[in-house]
Amino acid sequence: MSGSPLSRYEMVIGLEVHAQLRTESKLFSPAPALFGDEPNHNVEPVCLALPGVLPVLNRRAVECAILAGLATHCTVHTRSIFARKHYFYPDLPKGYQISQFEHPIATGGWLDIQLDVDGEAVTKRIGLTRIHMEEDAGKLIHDDAVAGSDATLVDLNRAGVPLVEIVSEPDIRSPAEAGAYLRMLRSILRYIDVSDADMEKGNFRCDANVSLRPIGREEFGTRTELKNLNSFRFVEAAILAEARRQAEILADGGEIQQATMAYDSATDRTRVLRLKEDAHDYRYFPDPDLIPLEIDAGEIEALRKGLPELADEKCNRFQSQYGLSENDAHQLSENRVLGEFFEAAVEKHGTARTVANWMLRDVLKALGELELELDDAKLTPEAFAELLELVDSGKTTAKSAQGLVSELVRNGGSPAALVSERGLEAVSDAGVLTTAVDEVLAEHPENVEKYRAGEAKVLNFLMGQVMRRTQGKADPNAVRDLLAERLKE
Amino acid sequence: MSSPLGTLAELRSALDAGTTSSQDLVAQALERADSHQNALNCFVGLRADAAREEALAADARRKRGEVRSLLDGVPIAIKDNMVQAGEPTTCGSRILAGFVSPYTSTAVQRLVDAGAVVIGRTNMDEFAMGSSTEHSAIGPCHNPWDPTRTAGGSSGGSATAVAAGIVPVALGSDTGGSIRQPASLCGVTGIKPTYGRVSRWGLVAFASSLDQIGVLARTAGDCASVLEIISGHDLRDSTSIPEPAPVYGDALGRSLEDVVIGLPRECFVEDGADAAVLAMVRAAVEELKRAGAKTREISLPHTPYGIATYYLIADAEASSNLARYDGVRYGRRAQGTFGLAGMYERTRSEGFGDEVKRRIVLGTYVLSAGYYDAYYRKAQQVRTLLRGDFEQAFAGCDVIATPTAPEVAFRLGEKTADPLSMYLSDVYTVSANLVGIPGLSVPCGFHAGMPVGLQLLGPAMGEAAPLRVATAYQRLTSHHEERAPEIV
Amino acid sequence: MPRITRAEVHRVAKLARLSLSDAEADRMTTDLDHILEYAETLQELDTEGIEPTAHAIPLETPMRLDRAVPGIDPALAIGNAPEAVDTAFVVPKVIEGEEEG
Repeated sequence: MSGSPLSRYEMVIGLEVHAQLRTESKLFSPAPALFGDEPNHNVEPVCLALPGVLPVLNRRAVECAILAGLATHCTVHTRSIFARKHYFYPDLPKGYQISQFEHPIATGGWLDIQLDVDGEAVTKRIGLTRIHMEEDAGKLIHDDAVAGSDATLVDLNRAGVPLVEIVSEPDIRSPAEAGAYLRMLRSILRYIDVSDADMEKGNFRCDANVSLRPIGREEFGTRTELKNLNSFRFVEAAILAEARRQAEILADGGEIQQATMAYDSATDRTRVLRLKEDAHDYRYFPDPDLIPLEIDAGEIEALRKGLPELADEKCNRFQSQYGLSENDAHQLSENRVLGEFFEAAVEKHGTARTVANWMLRDVLKALGELELELDDAKLTPEAFAELLELVDSGKTTAKSAQGLVSELVRNGGSPAALVSERGLEAVSDAGVLTTAVDEVLAEHPENVEKYRAGEAKVLNFLMGQVMRRTQGKADPNAVRDLLAERLKE
Repeated sequence: MSSPLGTLAELRSALDAGTTSSQDLVAQALERADSHQNALNCFVGLRADAAREEALAADARRKRGEVRSLLDGVPIAIKDNMVQAGEPTTCGSRILAGFVSPYTSTAVQRLVDAGAVVIGRTNMDEFAMGSSTEHSAIGPCHNPWDPTRTAGGSSGGSATAVAAGIVPVALGSDTGGSIRQPASLCGVTGIKPTYGRVSRWGLVAFASSLDQIGVLARTAGDCASVLEIISGHDLRDSTSIPEPAPVYGDALGRSLEDVVIGLPRECFVEDGADAAVLAMVRAAVEELKRAGAKTREISLPHTPYGIATYYLIADAEASSNLARYDGVRYGRRAQGTFGLAGMYERTRSEGFGDEVKRRIVLGTYVLSAGYYDAYYRKAQQVRTLLRGDFEQAFAGCDVIATPTAPEVAFRLGEKTADPLSMYLSDVYTVSANLVGIPGLSVPCGFHAGMPVGLQLLGPAMGEAAPLRVATAYQRLTSHHEERAPEIV
Repeated sequence: MPRITRAEVHRVAKLARLSLSDAEADRMTTDLDHILEYAETLQELDTEGIEPTAHAIPLETPMRLDRAVPGIDPALAIGNAPEAVDTAFVVPKVIEGEEEG
């Protein structure tokens, strides 16, 4: 990349994340906060902006926003104000969105991200400018097959669903940092159970402000805003594509124009949606249908006390309490469910290192292959600990046990029963093992010679051959003992 | 030709005595509404069949001894900006043509629950923006005392329906005087309660921080009775006062011995109002003094800024509240094929009348980048000064008396060419909306054959004070008993 | 000097999605100029340090419990629509990203 114009610049990135809050009803209306259904099946007069309707604030949504502020070390304000943001669009039924503008619910926080710098784990702190509450818009259906080529359909099921917008400081310097920031933010929101924060489902959406500056310069360049980045992969690709575009312009002596951009994944390029001079005049003013939101300081403190241990705290504890490596501790603590599963399994099993190894290797692999989240898996920490005990006690082999993880994740059940049902008990019968060992030694005389000449590692090869011959069911300790005995002869 | 209906109290007595029935009253009201429509144009729509059925049910209840309230079986009218499920609401606008509400406003629901029979929806200035009920999609409402003059506005249809004896009671809404000014011009009694006293759920918004539903009737006592029914906390309105509906009872009958009436110096200057109007209001105050009330001069130094403050705030909020009328989900969409932007512009340009457009543009302007602080924020600050004026004033008096309107009903068309002159009709009324306090207008005489109104303002949550003074005044005088000439 | 120009009236009208004929715009410019001139009387008042009043009656923030009630009948929800397909509202084709917030 050293030849590309981009290498002469530093990226300056700020992210705006919209996360849907996990509530039963909408922010200002009692309609269900569900939007998978048929169009307009979860709407009532407020969502439709019928004449005469009025908003009433959802208490749970406010609590969720406060928790998000506390978990990201923000100052949560005892007084915040809902304002109307005006623009005309068919997915915005009132012609304005109720949002927070001058007085958001939380400001001035931070979160730490883990970076890999030349193979070393480095922590970087990213500042949060603000968190404010707002309502979501409805959905437009552009599909020609449904709407026809000259029409668009409007579904207001999503209109009014509660969101928090979380705005970062321009502290992010690369697409990888942006990805790490988003993953950490997602982890936090899931930890405190205020949002599903699932990008693919559209309840965790990201806009990115991107600018470049020559390496070594203090002041920021002109920025552009990338809209609607809807997957982790796209966020990183889009930022890189936009940075490349800006670098080419700057390298040619051009100027960056303030604009709103869209990313096209097919071409891996960004394009201008609208320029700054077409920017909206949103005419914000305090919503006269709503009273300023006053929250008792005591209530904020009560919510703070109820916060669960968060990922970074848990990561540190896993290292000190269980002696895990930073990397393993980080992986196991990033997701609250994973961390809790780990600790439950350790409590039952006793050896943290073993549990961690098996979880990070076999459980995560099985989840990945089955495209499942641990929440949805049928494997319990108790069953998982039992499986590891079966290995420890030599009742089955590690290889057989590995083969069962996927089955247990998908369907659950008792590991001991599965082992016996499938005939996966470790073979320690002396007759069977002796036959297998003798056959292997007869087939590989050259290795026997090598071992006897002092090449001890040949033993592993011979063990592997015996295991293979017994379909992995041989008790490895018994095999090792037997091989050693025979090779001495 | 049916005769005018009596007061609510009279109709209740007749119903209870069995000398009339709800069916008779509703039939009489419907017939009268129909026969006066050409001359007065005070109804936007009648619900004749539904009203007759409801009257039948009310009579059945009465026979079973299950009368729900004072209003049970009584014909009433509502302003065309309060929705009722299954019924149209147009707000006097083309843009809501054909709209049928799927839900019911809290105030109307409380009336319906009390057994009242809504016979129809009354004419109004489009989206309640006006002081003459001339800015209506169905044309102007006419004053029953002189049909060449306005009924005032924006609740002109409700005031006219009561003044013409079609209904004993009608609901109106008051954002800057829209109940009190037409009550004054039509010779009826009208009250705007404290902001938040009556739920705004289902009241089509004009200016959210100023709008308030209230009652027009022939007497202050009738106003109080209906207010008791429609008031009270509503969880669907975040600005609703979390207190139960007041019960006035005998409090309204008390003498005026301990009452101090404040007379704001700024409201009695000769160039502010018609001299004859001022003289009648002074005479009314003298009458109250004879009944035992004391008076004292007070000052409300910021009230001269009320109109400017009011129009900046009201129009800013209106420009926002009216953004939802876009032809997407309900109402009238412009015909023809054009893109999205074209649909918005044509729908709104064809659907709104001139006055509404003027206010939307002014409101949009004062909220737009660079002007917010100079206009909107400034106006909200002046509002704070006004609150201070009234707080200080009410520390030394129980009610404040002023004229309701600076002059008697003006001629139709007289002020339509000059919006500012129309706005000045509200000079005495807007302050009550800006500071949220209750105000009522009672008839206090006639000038040139047209009614004059006395405005009585009370402190926040203190409707009882002006209602008590008005009740005493109506015991002493008979202006409210004067009937407009039968013009049909 | 006029307080508001015809060009500004056109710009603001466009923001509010109103199209005005030149004659309408001229009349409105005159009217608004008068109204704004009148509104300038407020500048006589010193409001330095004065808190704006958004609501005249002080209240505590009302909040409701997070309980969902089922939506209204979809047929009613779109019952007033000028144009609908099944239970969706129909508008002229929207170009994606055109003027979103």
